[in-house]
Amino acid sequence: MLPLSYSVRNVALRPLRSLLSVAVIALVVVACSLFLGLISSLRRSFISSGDPMNLVVLRKGSDNDGASQLTREAAASLHYLDGIAHNAEDVPLFSPELVVQPFLQTRNGGRENVLVRGVEPIALEVHTGVRVVEGRMFRPRLHEVIVGKAMVGRYEGAFLGGELHLGRGRWKVVGIFDAAGSSLESEVWADVEELAEDSRRPTPYSGVRLRAASGAELDRLKAHIDADPEYALEASREVEYYAKQSETANSLYILVVAIAVLAGVGAGFGSANTMYAAVQSRTAEIGTLRALGFSRGAILTSFEVEALTLSLAGFLSGVVLSLLLAAALRRVQGGIAFTSSTFTTNLVTLSIGVGDLAQACGLAVLIGLLGGLGPAYRAARLRPIEALRKA
Amino acid sequence: MGYAGFVFANLLRNPLRSALTGSAIALAVLLVCLLLTMPAGLDALLTRVASDTRVGVINKSGLVFWMPYSLMRKIRGLEDVADAVGMVWFGGAFEEQGKVTFPSFAVEVDHIPGTYPDYNVAPEALAAFARYRDGAIVGRQTMRKYRWKVGDRVTLRSNLWNVNLDLRIVGEIPRDSSPIVWINREYLDEAIKAQGQPGLGIVMIVWVRVPSADRVNSVMLRIDELTRNTDYETTSQTEKTFFSNFLGSLQGFLQILLMVTGLVSLCIVFIAANTASMAVRERAGEIGVLRAIGFRRRTIFAMLLSETVVLSWLAGALGVGLAFVVTTSLSRLGGSIAALGPLGGFIVTPGVIVQGLLLSLAIGVFAGFAPAYGAARRPVADTLREVF
Repeated sequence: MLPLSYSVRNVALRPLRSLLSVAVIALVVVACSLFLGLISSLRRSFISSGDPMNLVVLRKGSDNDGASQLTREAAASLHYLDGIAHNAEDVPLFSPELVVQPFLQTRNGGRENVLVRGVEPIALEVHTGVRVVEGRMFRPRLHEVIVGKAMVGRYEGAFLGGELHLGRGRWKVVGIFDAAGSSLESEVWADVEELAEDSRRPTPYSGVRLRAASGAELDRLKAHIDADPEYALEASREVEYYAKQSETANSLYILVVAIAVLAGVGAGFGSANTMYAAVQSRTAEIGTLRALGFSRGAILTSFEVEALTLSLAGFLSGVVLSLLLAAALRRVQGGIAFTSSTFTTNLVTLSIGVGDLAQACGLAVLIGLLGGLGPAYRAARLRPIEALRKA
Repeated sequence: MGYAGFVFANLLRNPLRSALTGSAIALAVLLVCLLLTMPAGLDALLTRVASDTRVGVINKSGLVFWMPYSLMRKIRGLEDVADAVGMVWFGGAFEEQGKVTFPSFAVEVDHIPGTYPDYNVAPEALAAFARYRDGAIVGRQTMRKYRWKVGDRVTLRSNLWNVNLDLRIVGEIPRDSSPIVWINREYLDEAIKAQGQPGLGIVMIVWVRVPSADRVNSVMLRIDELTRNTDYETTSQTEKTFFSNFLGSLQGFLQILLMVTGLVSLCIVFIAANTASMAVRERAGEIGVLRAIGFRRRTIFAMLLSETVVLSWLAGALGVGLAFVVTTSLSRLGGSIAALGPLGGFIVTPGVIVQGLLLSLAIGVFAGFAPAYGAARRPVADTLREVF
């Protein structure tokens, strides 16, 4: 067996050419991990919005808050159902909500549809991940709102003490809330009664969120609501509801995998080129090694290791580059805007996770293995006599 | 042997290497073209679909804030308004194919021809649309996607209005990229009333056609003036601005897409440069001899450079061709495989083809320049001394 250092030092022997191959692989890794990071961030922003103990109740057939309408009576019919969890003051954790999608001016002069959720103060206890981190919760009837963290800086007036022009009115921002990076951070929360009045909706609510006392109660509540003939409602687990919202991420994922594989194969060709040249320029050396008694397998392995060294170096520099790029993007652009199924803007903070890097690493290793295979095979097949004669 | 022959002979000297480099370039150009089809597709879509003499009017607060139906009469009464049609989002889903939706609107049938003369909907289709209450006019994209034909009956379900409507397809909008479905406003109105609710009474978007482009601005001002200080103040935009705003929130994703495109291009430059430098290094002796027998630096430089350029351009052309094939077949498949989503919607435009070819040309020049320049500049004596 040839020592590992032989392969590694051979890489350093032709610095410029190795550097180019490393750069190619690094760039592929950057492209791949940026995209994968974006998609997993998008997915995470939805998935983390749901709580396993919560139910979303909408009108039957509606697949999101924005497309559902609920009357006051329908909401009231659910308020005191058995099995709903209660807080310390014995108030049911039951949040009737109205979702509207008005325009909001962005600071660069455009405007975007944003999701405004009309709630009652109890909503802070039903949506477990939401915490007001600056200022305070809005007080009903005063045209006050709280805004999600991701919106700050992107929209005109979206800061503590600012004023938002939403719908027909002007609303004072009295608080900023954090929702652990979930899509709720791209929302504005206002008093549900005021919002219904402002948007002149024929029905005051679009849906209800409620928290079950236990897992068994959750199943029972869901069955009970789905079966109720009077109001034609449909309860879904909040987690599943948001998982469905993240389906856009899946078709993007197909796109990204296709891109990554294409780019990876291209880089593999480039890496094969470099390795072929290495084999060619070391023909005499390989002949000598074979004459010394190193087996074909040893030569094959040593060239594969060389190719892998290249791709690992590429992967490592790619990781550093992509993490830097992601940080720069976060700083310059803030969240990256996606349109969600409610036609509103979901701001996703790009972060590249370990899982994304692992996938990029897999790609880099694949490039190395496939790119090195042909050249290594050629090197191993060289007949020692001919190889030496050529020298 | 002419110069061209020399270039090709050199390319074929190490066929494996040329093939590998060529494939890498072709793949990368394919990739870049595919990425470019997205912004280019959006842009092309906008120019094709949107007219600058049509104005969209919506509630200033957003699409979900409606406007009273009575606004239509007032708008049609304005000077320089050729015609105007009020639309209500129907949000119809075709349940046979899961829960797919497409932009479907309940429209005022009588005002469609006057507002959309540029859509070239067949006169008999418009006549049938006016005659049958349950008539629907469907964009060609949706027609193809579900293999609908004129005369078919389909049932669309609207969750927004909580109704199922049985529709008769009476005509198509002859535009390949149009997903739109138009249905009769009165038909929806009746269906809603049949459930014991008050009728529609509202419009969500008003499309106004202005006879000439130079009067568009004054018409937009007049409409917004008309609604000032009511509780449904409006905002008017040309159709093009309207759609580009609607797509505006994709910008962030597009930026990343373009960034990745840039990275990939840089990648191929490196690969091609690598190849060029290998070729030049191996042939150092030969180049020295060429110089010694009197070939000028300029000639040698040009020959070496054109080698890289020819390779990358040929490969680039192959890549562009592949991109064309891939997107064409994707858009065919797009109809049957819903998971492809937006992938099915884009086609390679002439602009993308030109960009792809220019890109491969640029790759060749950038990658070939340094090695060719270095080789041509190297003093003959040095080279020959090394070789002999």
